[in-house]
Amino acid sequence: MAYLTEKINGIFSPFVLLKNLFRKPVTLQFPYDSLPPVAGYRGRHILDLDKCRGCFVCSMICPNKAITPVEFRGRKYPQVDLGKCCFCQLCEEYCAGAAIRLTQQAIMVTMDKESAILGPEALSQAPTF
Amino acid sequence: MSFLTIPFGPQHPAAGHFHALIKVDGETVLGLDPYPGYLHRGFEKLMEYRVHTQNCMLLDRICILDPLSNEAGYVNAVEEIGRLEVPVRAKYIRTIMLELGRILSHISWIGEMGMALGFDSACRIAWGDRERIIRLNEIISGGRIYPVLFCVGGVRRDISPEFVDKSYEALDYLERQLEFYDSFFFKNETFIMRTKGVGKLGASEAVDLGVTGPNLRACGVDYDIRQDEPYEAYPEVNFKVVTREEGDAYARCLCRRGEIAESISIVRQLLKDVPGGPHRVQLDPMYKTPEGESHFCVEAARGELCFHVVSDGSPIPYRVKVRGPSFSHSLVAFPYLAEGSTIADIPVIYWSLAPCPADMDR
Repeated sequence: MAYLTEKINGIFSPFVLLKNLFRKPVTLQFPYDSLPPVAGYRGRHILDLDKCRGCFVCSMICPNKAITPVEFRGRKYPQVDLGKCCFCQLCEEYCAGAAIRLTQQAIMVTMDKESAILGPEALSQAPTF
Repeated sequence: MSFLTIPFGPQHPAAGHFHALIKVDGETVLGLDPYPGYLHRGFEKLMEYRVHTQNCMLLDRICILDPLSNEAGYVNAVEEIGRLEVPVRAKYIRTIMLELGRILSHISWIGEMGMALGFDSACRIAWGDRERIIRLNEIISGGRIYPVLFCVGGVRRDISPEFVDKSYEALDYLERQLEFYDSFFFKNETFIMRTKGVGKLGASEAVDLGVTGPNLRACGVDYDIRQDEPYEAYPEVNFKVVTREEGDAYARCLCRRGEIAESISIVRQLLKDVPGGPHRVQLDPMYKTPEGESHFCVEAARGELCFHVVSDGSPIPYRVKVRGPSFSHSLVAFPYLAEGSTIADIPVIYWSLAPCPADMDR
């Protein structure tokens, strides 16, 4: 008898899933609705031009060689290729002047590779969410 | 003798990125030839061109579904060469994250197994629940799939009170969900019929084939590195190694289900008494390890994961060898079990072994 009950319960057990019809969906309707990123999210970079000392430790430690020095306003500043960046935050971690930081901007969509390369001027502007 | 050859993967929902050619005679599988390499990225060679600090960023990519175990294996091997003393707080944080990673991997596997059985609801529900752990990864490290949290000398970020609260919340939720999984998945008659007696593996066979992790424990072998050679904060926690005797696909599934419950209990124990103090030893980005080599094994979610690191005294490792769990599961055990089974059992056997093609190819 116990065997039969177990079998019957086993056959009808998937029907508990019908409860899901009355639950709120777990997914969000992107792009109209999205999950806000947390405070320490590793997104697009921001560069403080006044704090940058031009030491290029960021460029040296970058695992993907995404940061390169470029000429801007008479001296060298970092340029970030977001196509190569793996958002590991090592540049921020080892920046002596706390000039380069990662922001919460998670969505970086572009149709061409060139616009994924951010020069010092673009990097110094606050991200648009 | 005439037979038909059917390709399985590498772009197939039930194969991940694993590729094999199956020889069949009617419904019976005569043999299975695996063809690895579709996801080969050359990690071992890449690591020979980067310093230890940079290598920690690469390691997560080895196994996408269980990234933190790879980090733990490598950083522990490097710390062993450098004879570095890691702060106790860092060890606790690492263990918490490793266990959350195990839950993450096993919950993803429930989805994969559901998909292999043609039970898509299980896949959707499990991958929805996976988001809870991914959110915890995001809170502690800022990265969702690739946390890159561990570094040589500790962990890169400390745990916050928000993380602790959210962890308890997620663990309570997952504990409730486990009962829900039982009701519609693990006790489902279709699931039992599809998995019981399928892909049966004996204990001595499993050892010979290099099977490790939950797959080995499902054959009745009580072997778990967390218990036999404890690392990080595992000596401080009480847990039961989940074993089964049957050795079939059903036993492997139930072993993983039991491990989720055990992991929840381990994380709760550790969260209760995380010691104070620093969370890392600040090292130079060009940290040099002395000349030497070390071999470190961790119990990853999918099996035994070992890192053999050889250092020549420079900040760049001379050689890194990775022994991933999925290599022997998918290339050795899977063809062995597939022979003589039926076509319909192939996805069931494959996903009950839970290999990760990314880890297999590296």
